[in-house]
Amino acid sequence: MPSQPKTVEIHIRRRANPDSPQYWEQFEIPYRPNLNIISCLMEIQKNPVNKAGARTTPPVWQMNCLEQVCGICTMIINGRARQSCSALVDNLDQPIKLEPMAKFPNIRDLVVDRQQMFDHLRRVHAWIELDGTHDLGPGPRMDQEDVQERYAYSRCMTCGCCLEACPQYEGDNYIGPQAIAQVRLFNMHPSGKMTRQERLEGIMQEDGITNCGNAQNCVKACPMGIPLTRAIYEENRETVVHGLLGWLKD
Amino acid sequence: MAIRLSRTFILRKLHQLSGIFPLGVFLLEHFYTNSKALTGPGDFNNAVKDLQSIPYILFVEIGGIFIPLIYHAVYGLVITMEARPNNLAYPYSRNWFYLIQRITGVILFFFITFHVLNFRFGMIPGLNTVSVAHSPDQAFDIVSREFRMIPIFIVYMIGITATVWHLANGIWLFLVDWGITIGERAQRLTGYACIAFGVVLLLVGVNAAVAFIRPGGLLGGIIY
Ligand code: SF4
Ligand code: SF4
Ligand code: FES
Repeated sequence: MPSQPKTVEIHIRRRANPDSPQYWEQFEIPYRPNLNIISCLMEIQKNPVNKAGARTTPPVWQMNCLEQVCGICTMIINGRARQSCSALVDNLDQPIKLEPMAKFPNIRDLVVDRQQMFDHLRRVHAWIELDGTHDLGPGPRMDQEDVQERYAYSRCMTCGCCLEACPQYEGDNYIGPQAIAQVRLFNMHPSGKMTRQERLEGIMQEDGITNCGNAQNCVKACPMGIPLTRAIYEENRETVVHGLLGWLKD
Repeated sequence: MAIRLSRTFILRKLHQLSGIFPLGVFLLEHFYTNSKALTGPGDFNNAVKDLQSIPYILFVEIGGIFIPLIYHAVYGLVITMEARPNNLAYPYSRNWFYLIQRITGVILFFFITFHVLNFRFGMIPGLNTVSVAHSPDQAFDIVSREFRMIPIFIVYMIGITATVWHLANGIWLFLVDWGITIGERAQRLTGYACIAFGVVLLLVGVNAAVAFIRPGGLLGGIIY
């Protein structure tokens, strides 16, 4: 653990609005034990004066749950994409460098637009049809092993760390591991299977699953420990069996 | 009802498949023929002659080697151009493998172009203008004369190493891309198997190349 000085030095890569260029600004705040990045940002926000002593605009970021379950506070901290609410200053080298994720449109300061991930979820039909005009009764029973695997995929919080770390993902050219894992989640479900075709079509387009280059950064970068490569390879199998070889059943 | 296949999906699947079959299989055949040099020039020259007597050789060579090779090479470059390597921020071994697979691919693009023009067609003026395939009697001598030039031999050592890496790692990639290997443990075990395969293949490939400048190869003929 790095020895802690009396202050915390933070460099933030900022942007005033979507069309203006990025620039770095340095800040210094008093050290307290157990600070996390969000509390540092709040401290700066209270008194937006940079390290040189000049008044500046308060840095903008997003947060919600503050306990690493919503994913919205994700940013690049010392070069790695992670959640700022669970990043403790005591565990970080100083100066701490904060940057917005680079693979999503940067709106302002540390805020990015993650809409593309939600569009992908819609495209792959990442839900199960349950609504009917009558009571559909209890759901089908599931294998305990499947339940456990599904639980792992269900923990995705759409934070984007996996896409940020993926060397194949850039400019929304690849649907990415996050959506593929959700395809796996819903294709494993006995009721979800009924719309499997739609999901497979979703991940077999020009920007589909075959764009994965197997660098496996995604599975290392995922803060929820989701077995993303397993999901990708399961879906590789499904796309080969039902996609590539599907015509043999016609 | 069959799912509509996108262009990218088909091109990628063909790319993954062509690396194993026919190209990977062809590499094994190639090393087999090269290894004939271990027992002497005559055996190697005969092996070259035998290959030329394969029925429909023209179609086999064009359909089984040249078309898949050009496809795999050119589309491989397209895939390589999509890569945004980030190995310094994410220095994991698979991420390095990802980068090395692309680097060896680019090396192979140039090495194989040179190699094919050099020995298959004899079209490198100043170095070699005799096609090995069409002059089986001189096959061993053509190769042997070139391999005695240190820079050429080094180029071939780099080429052989890059090829073996690209195939051994390529087999692992094929297994996951076609959904044959899935779980973490299986990924690890097939990874070890591919490393072992690569080491053996590298020794075979290098030994065969050395046999052109040193009778019997690395061990001087103790093991054929
Ligand atoms: S394994 Fe595939 S999805 Fe995951 S980081 Fe690598 S290229 Fe991206
Ligand atoms: S898979 Fe993991 S890293 Fe990717 S969006 Fe979901 S929680 Fe984040
Ligand atoms: S604020 Fe929800 S994950 Fe950090």
